[in-house]
Amino acid sequence: MAAAAAATATMVSSAGGLLAMLNESHPLLKLHALSNLNAFVDSFWPEISTSVPIIESLYEDEEFDQRQLAALLVSKVFYYLGELNDSLSYALGAGPMFDVSEDSDYVHTLLAKAIDEYASVKSKAAESNDEADKMDPRLEAIVERMLDKCILDGKYQQAIGMAIECRRLDKLEEAIMKSDNIHATLSYCINISHSFVNLREYRHEVLRLLVKVYKKLPSPDYLSICQCLMFLDEAEGVDDALLALQIAFDLVENEHQAFLLNVRNLLSSAKSQPSEPAQQGPAAAESGQNLIATASEDVQMTDGTQASNVNVQEADPKEVTYAERLTKIKGILSGETSIQLTLQFLYSHNKSDLLILKTIKQSVEPRNSVCHSATIYANAIMHAGTTVDTFLRENLDWLGRATNWAKFSATAGLGVIHRGHLQQGRSLMAPYLPQSGAGGGGSPYSEGGALYALGLIHANHGEGIKQFLRDSLRSTNVELLELLMKISMTTVKTVLYTDSAVAGEAAGISMGLLMVGTASEKAGEMLAYAHETQHEKIIRGLALGIALTVYGREEEADTLIEQMTRDQDPILRYGGMYALALAYSGTANNKAIRQLLHFAVSDVSDDVRRTAVLALGFVLYSEPEQTPRIVSLLSESYNPHVRYGAALAVGISCAGTGLSEAISLLEPLTSDVVDFVRQGALIAMAMVMVQISEASDSRVGAFRRQLEKIILDKHEDTMSKMGAILASGILDAGGRNVTIKLLSKTKHDKITAVVGLAVFSQFWYWYPLIYFISLSFSPTAFIGLNYDLKVPRFEFLSHAKPSLFEYPRPTSAPTTTSAAKLPTAVLSTSAKAKARATKKEADQKGITEKSSGAESSSAGSNTGKGKSSGDKDGDSMQVDSLTEKKAEPESSFEILTNPARVVPAQEKFIKFLEDSRYAPVKLAPSGFSLLKDLRPTEPEVLSLTDAPSSTAAAAAAGGSTTGQQGSASAMAVDEEPQPPQPFEYTS
Amino acid sequence: MDPNLTEVSQLFERFKAAFMRNDFDTCDNLLSQLKVLLTKFRSLPPLFEETPKAIHELTLARDIYEHAVVLSVKIEDQDAFERDFFQLKPYYTDACGRLPPSPQEYPILGLNLLRLLVQNRIAEFHTELELLSATALENPCIKHAVELEQSFMEGAYNRVLSARQTVPHETYVYFMDLLAKTVRDEISGCSEKAYDSLSINDARKIEMFSSVQDLFEYIKEEHPEWEIKNGFVIFQRAKESAPCKEIPSLQLINQTLSYARELERIV
Repeated sequence: MAAAAAATATMVSSAGGLLAMLNESHPLLKLHALSNLNAFVDSFWPEISTSVPIIESLYEDEEFDQRQLAALLVSKVFYYLGELNDSLSYALGAGPMFDVSEDSDYVHTLLAKAIDEYASVKSKAAESNDEADKMDPRLEAIVERMLDKCILDGKYQQAIGMAIECRRLDKLEEAIMKSDNIHATLSYCINISHSFVNLREYRHEVLRLLVKVYKKLPSPDYLSICQCLMFLDEAEGVDDALLALQIAFDLVENEHQAFLLNVRNLLSSAKSQPSEPAQQGPAAAESGQNLIATASEDVQMTDGTQASNVNVQEADPKEVTYAERLTKIKGILSGETSIQLTLQFLYSHNKSDLLILKTIKQSVEPRNSVCHSATIYANAIMHAGTTVDTFLRENLDWLGRATNWAKFSATAGLGVIHRGHLQQGRSLMAPYLPQSGAGGGGSPYSEGGALYALGLIHANHGEGIKQFLRDSLRSTNVELLELLMKISMTTVKTVLYTDSAVAGEAAGISMGLLMVGTASEKAGEMLAYAHETQHEKIIRGLALGIALTVYGREEEADTLIEQMTRDQDPILRYGGMYALALAYSGTANNKAIRQLLHFAVSDVSDDVRRTAVLALGFVLYSEPEQTPRIVSLLSESYNPHVRYGAALAVGISCAGTGLSEAISLLEPLTSDVVDFVRQGALIAMAMVMVQISEASDSRVGAFRRQLEKIILDKHEDTMSKMGAILASGILDAGGRNVTIKLLSKTKHDKITAVVGLAVFSQFWYWYPLIYFISLSFSPTAFIGLNYDLKVPRFEFLSHAKPSLFEYPRPTSAPTTTSAAKLPTAVLSTSAKAKARATKKEADQKGITEKSSGAESSSAGSNTGKGKSSGDKDGDSMQVDSLTEKKAEPESSFEILTNPARVVPAQEKFIKFLEDSRYAPVKLAPSGFSLLKDLRPTEPEVLSLTDAPSSTAAAAAAGGSTTGQQGSASAMAVDEEPQPPQPFEYTS
Repeated sequence: MDPNLTEVSQLFERFKAAFMRNDFDTCDNLLSQLKVLLTKFRSLPPLFEETPKAIHELTLARDIYEHAVVLSVKIEDQDAFERDFFQLKPYYTDACGRLPPSPQEYPILGLNLLRLLVQNRIAEFHTELELLSATALENPCIKHAVELEQSFMEGAYNRVLSARQTVPHETYVYFMDLLAKTVRDEISGCSEKAYDSLSINDARKIEMFSSVQDLFEYIKEEHPEWEIKNGFVIFQRAKESAPCKEIPSLQLINQTLSYARELERIV
């Protein structure tokens, strides 16, 4: 035993000896004891803890030269005792003895504590605006040491995180500049500044810094700069940066309209400046003109964007080129290009199943106006943006049974269907619009509906139409005018003060829509008026309007929210809930969630409680996984209103995700005892499941069957029946090519979408508001564009089983429409062979390409011309369309052809073929992407022609011949589409 | 030979010489130097590094600390005793497998037990006792201390005082004197409570003084508040005996009843 003990290294069993040594008078002995204790503290801290006072006195002894060691020891003991605050203060006393690089729990814990402490002191100082004079310099030193160490060790991400947390922008900049991959670091920065920086002000500071850093780089990444600036809402910076059309598309995708307008204006002003020689150094990067020149140099170097072939032209045609480019960019920025392309895509890929609608129509009793109009809504949503109004045209008689408000919504539905059809919107709606001066031929309802429809068509892009709307508003007595966004303030206010209930409600909402996110002082005015008026509807409209004005303002809105939530009037409190939802939308802010949960269980009014729960959906939509967990208890509430709110909250925040927990939560609610809960649950379920195929979640199929059953069941409640009809509409929204997305790809909120859903959730009070859901639809497509903004034929790979993301199969009895739209491009082994063949071919081409490429670069200026002549040539490397279908076992991938439907879940499977002719400028798997033509000399094959809109109109017009008047004369002769026949209301 | 080790050995020789001469000041000085020098040896606790000279160094260090303990007893410094003993202890507990046992071990452990007894730190006394092996308990030095504690606890104070004559080691005398004082303190504390007054003779007997003179001296030093009058020692208990605190039973009963009533009302 003794031998064994001797063999193993002898260990002390107690620190008693060392502690006793502390009491020795000789300082060397004390030092010896201290340093040994410091080494053994990990195992003997319980013993040492009784002697802490002695060590503390050593630390306080000014004459003792190893005070810091004593402090370190005490700090460690306190750490083990769990007294982190004391521990930290002694660790600070330890100064340099506290080694930040030591890899121990103690150091990690204390560092975390120190950084927390520092960050909280810093942010407190920043909030109270006084200088951080009370900041402990020792604390600062530790944090700085830590930051420096991280930077030295190459742990830039940690350094960045800490710097942001601690509000040390200087260190942040240092970390970014020193990192080896500045671009990656910068994008990481942008990401975290969005996801973790909660304070708006501070986030802006960080972003401003990032822009500064970006500008310092030798080759600035204009895309990211633009993004940052957009978040900052500072248009001035962009004239420096704005370059590629891709940027423009990315900007448009985020739908920040006011910002886009500013950019556009700045662009035109830049044009007026004199052009300067192209060979300017990068120093001259001030005006937009120069920038395009310098940037094109960059581009040549990196071969980065599609712009190269234009910019090689000499100074002479430069003016022309510039003008051309400017128009293009302006077109994109105004959103017209993307809208048009989307329209084309939605039209050509429309896969909506008319049979479903037919079934619904047949099962619905014509006298039941609620279900009747629900069917109309469903139709509108199903075909949103596709311009396919066949169903309406085929069922004019049936449609004619609509009365009053139903008529209103039927007309407005046309607007949803033709959403984005900017050019023809007016003429399309012409028959229904109030004839100025003439007092109007149709009923006021259909006129109102038509105006509403126009509003929807032009939502967010309304310049052209606003004058017209304003005029008609003045000249007609139509009760309700849903004008959206673009009516001048004065007009709306006049309407408001006429104190007419319905108009007032609408006006309230439209004022909100107009001033989305402006937090203007008008909100106060609206609040005052809301107190004065007697009409509940007006109050509600105003409340929602106020809520809309504070969109995205976060803390700034707190006073207003406080004011509203404390109000006597439940409707205003209800507005307060919406204000909370919108002000903190997508932030998952804890304070907002807490407040909402509080109201959800404590308010006396059912409306307020329902809205509070619903608002949770808005606050949490950036983190959909959270929502089901948070509202799961509420979904079991005894109060049906709360259950309804919970259902919609899940629907809103998990929209389009197909999240399994969300579906599990909603499933029991779809068979709730209360009819309106069922309705809400069905709608929410449809929102969650939109574009989820049966293959990825079998419950989708079950849900479809459930919907069918409810619709066909004679004894089902009207409410849930309506819910089911709407749900089936939403499920197949936009010809099965759109999803509900509240966040853009860059994780920025899409204002229009959020606002659209917010107003949609008001349909409880007024059904036509259902149409607002169409604002939140965004097409799920990959659309590749060449330099001319045309859609060339281009193939890419989806590395997943085709069945996972295919369109739902059309319902049983095949109709003409569905037969024509059977799934195309099913790939088979033959396709593989073909791909191989193409590759070989491409290789050969590549060889010839090289020589021709050399030629073209030497004669750089010709390329533009060469390309255009190539266009005429018509000889092409035409690839056969892969439409042949084979009943073979499913392959593990499929090849998609531009433009293609790419559902969000599919995005991660998308791969671009390396040997294809086009290379995307930005490796984004969906949305608009500009393609760089690697073989510009060859002719291009365009897959989407220019004129689908006109053919669409023609086709629609063809359908319309079933109307009362034969309109053959008007049909397909001119570009203008044939307006649909004004249907008559027979009842 | 390691220069450090030589230095320590030489210094230690000088220390021992001074120790024999009973020149305690020099001893103290030398000891302090020795201790500082000892910190340079890495084979000593708490590091216990395996060096070629480890055994030698350990033995030497142990020897030094044993002398330090004995020295502290001789200069009657209890704090120094405690300090030195704790520094010595690892040599006994942790290095026992590597060193031949020291002849001084049990006397010093016994001394420490005695010290704890003197300072009336009974809990620590028993902790130390638990750490000792059965053979150690058989050792006369330890046994002495254990028996003392037993008599002390039983209240057989006369046995405690008489044990002074049977000390197993000459260094024990100092502590035995102290212990006698502790015992007397204990006795006087008890008699204060138990009696109002005692005849001087009885008091002398109880306090186990050999002469009345000693008793008077003791009273003068330790208990100046005692009065000596008419051949009696009068304890001052009557003066200071404060009225014993009453248990507020009535109040408690009232409270409990009202709680019960309230509870009934709520339910």
